[in-house]
Amino acid sequence: MLYSTDRILTTHAGSLPRPPDLRDLVLAKANGTPYDPAALDSRLRSAVAEVVRRQAECGIDCVNDGELSKTNFTDYVRWRIAGYETRPSSGARRLSITARDETKFAGYFEANPRRWSLGPPTMPVCVGELRYVGQADLARDLDNFKAALAGVNVAEAFLPANTPGTIEHWMLNEHYQDDEAFVFAIADTMHEEYQAIVDSGFLLQIDDPDLPDGWNCLPDITLPEYRNYAAMRVDALNHALRGIPKDKVRLHVCWGSHHGPHHDDIPLKDIIDLIFRVDAGSFSIEASNPCHEHEWRVFEEVKLPEGATLIPGVVGHFTDFIEHPDLVAERLVRYARLVGRENVLAGTDCGLGTRVGHPSICWAKFEALAEGARRATKILWGRAC
Amino acid sequence: MKASLDHIITSHAGSLPRPDGLIAANRAVETGEPVDEQAFQQTLSAAVAEVVRYQHDLGIDIPGDGEFGKPMGQRVNYGSWWRYSWQRLGGLDPDGPGFDTAPRRSGPGEVVLTTFRDRRDRSQFAAAYADPESGITTGPRPPAPTCVAPITYTGHDAIRTDIANFKAAMRAAGVEEGFMSSVAPGSASRIGNAYYKSEEELLYACADAMREEYKAIVEAGIILQLDDPAIAENWDMVNPEPTVEDYRKFSMLRVEALNHAIRGLPEDRIRFHLCWGSWHGPHMTDIPMRDIVGVMLAINAHAYSFEAGNVRHEHEWKVWQEVKLPDDKLMLPGVVSHATNVVEHPELVAERILRFANVVGRDRVIASTDCGLGGRVHPQIAWAKLEALAQGAALASRQLWR
Repeated sequence: MLYSTDRILTTHAGSLPRPPDLRDLVLAKANGTPYDPAALDSRLRSAVAEVVRRQAECGIDCVNDGELSKTNFTDYVRWRIAGYETRPSSGARRLSITARDETKFAGYFEANPRRWSLGPPTMPVCVGELRYVGQADLARDLDNFKAALAGVNVAEAFLPANTPGTIEHWMLNEHYQDDEAFVFAIADTMHEEYQAIVDSGFLLQIDDPDLPDGWNCLPDITLPEYRNYAAMRVDALNHALRGIPKDKVRLHVCWGSHHGPHHDDIPLKDIIDLIFRVDAGSFSIEASNPCHEHEWRVFEEVKLPEGATLIPGVVGHFTDFIEHPDLVAERLVRYARLVGRENVLAGTDCGLGTRVGHPSICWAKFEALAEGARRATKILWGRAC
Repeated sequence: MKASLDHIITSHAGSLPRPDGLIAANRAVETGEPVDEQAFQQTLSAAVAEVVRYQHDLGIDIPGDGEFGKPMGQRVNYGSWWRYSWQRLGGLDPDGPGFDTAPRRSGPGEVVLTTFRDRRDRSQFAAAYADPESGITTGPRPPAPTCVAPITYTGHDAIRTDIANFKAAMRAAGVEEGFMSSVAPGSASRIGNAYYKSEEELLYACADAMREEYKAIVEAGIILQLDDPAIAENWDMVNPEPTVEDYRKFSMLRVEALNHAIRGLPEDRIRFHLCWGSWHGPHMTDIPMRDIVGVMLAINAHAYSFEAGNVRHEHEWKVWQEVKLPDDKLMLPGVVSHATNVVEHPELVAERILRFANVVGRDRVIASTDCGLGGRVHPQIAWAKLEALAQGAALASRQLWR
């Protein structure tokens, strides 16, 4: 993992824009419609190379593969684990990240139905022992990413993987005796993917929206109950991370990236200790949209774990307006003054690729991010970089 | 004009979500269906009464009429704040050649407006603007009319109705002070011209005509809000990018016309609203506040409302560390925004208010919105944002008057 030793470094939360032809192929495979596997393989490889180069051109120091092989950050796991069967469903998830907002904003959600994740409208149900079967897909991702990195000059490379708690959002359990046994079984399964990413020399990014947005999924839960709920899932995640050095792991938390009101998101201060309980060396946290922007003040009171870095989201997916670089710099300086400039990297609230209105908006936001980091560096180190 | 004497008071930029019944009634008028005038008026006045009471309940100190008298026949509509003037001005031909017919290029010392399609943000992000799924919606864009005869004000009945509805609503809700928006000449004159010899003549004709509406609002004891986003957003409509100096000169002509239109009216009954255009695009080509603030302050208004709650303009509170807000003036920074569906946290609203209050003084800040929320976000989100605005102002007040 990197420190901003002599300038503010930049990274992002994961998802990047898919070229339309690749998107069609990935969707066809996911939906079980006919497609040409050779065409998918070759297009995926070239698209990953393009997206890595594009990140470098935008000034991103720590890059990824854009999650291009995946239908989205979480459902890809469907094709990497076994022990479940799919049953017809409405396409809705077992746990909905808008459940809490829907109680107050029913009219809004009726007028703006969420587009469900790309993939089949079926519900996976765990009916036997879970096991990891994604070796080939994962090896292809690792291989494509390595090849793409060969031609560019970047400081670090990361690959994201999903968490047990988020996988639980869309899989029912009819096999394990209780939620805890189920979540720990998912953890054991995902351990193989985590280990393989780290063994390949990449920084592992754990995507854990569940840690904050489980709160939104469970509208009637109280705070103490929720903290217990979340703590068990953090323990499961740490079980999945066993044996992996902290400095090879960064945790990404966000409150669910839908463009709804987010009126009752759980405050960061109520879960920051749980976030820091995860065995990770760096922490990427949504921090730029208007329901979380004020939470930089949490770090007036809470210290980062020893040796950890913080990656606040300083540009967001929640608006198609492009952040002004001076605003990006203002946000970074605020964090740097609280936790130390060397411990702050500039990040995004969530993956921008499939969440902003258009690919060109994603790239413009990356450029604003990099320019903002340069301006913050100038303020914090008193010199240009 | 009310100021924040013992707490941060709240207002907003104008447009509020119309109830479905009013939208349907406006739509019927728009499409030429037979309309029962009396029933229409009842729907309108009842809606104004309701929206004023609702703002009051949410904690908005200086409510408006939601611009309900400015017809909006769709839930998503970004343009009623200026298109309403097409129905209140005489001398216009709706079927004329229109306004933005062919791209026009500006040169040094010669700034001209090009077409909406040729705007610079739109050109830079052409694929994003062209993608129907991108979310850069602006609702319907009917073609602008063309001026073919002397421009006159013909909206006397309409403004009389607006005023009567609003005053009745304020009385019923126990509201002392309210505001009503009216389009400024700079924005009203963005129509085709087949009559006047120059743009300047057209601009002053609009100024003289609209003056009647301004006078009516002020004489009724209502705070007049002059809407002139054109002062800032014309910048994006000049292609290629002009020098700041040329653009200021171009905009000062519009400011002088506006000052001409409000001559003799009491300054402390007038506030001005500036924004960079409310569509949900990248806004990469917005002119920086620093470059336009002097032009804005040349307008003879008592208070200035401007965008400050979105990611393109939030950092510009710092401008006020360098530029002095004249001692007797107030500001209405936008601290909640139409730019996102995400509802601002009251603590963020308070933080934004405090930033301004610490620079210009607490008694000179009125907490407001970036732009009108009606037609731009879903009604439930608009109301939640106004509620967050009031809660944030209360939090800020507690810190500023403890």
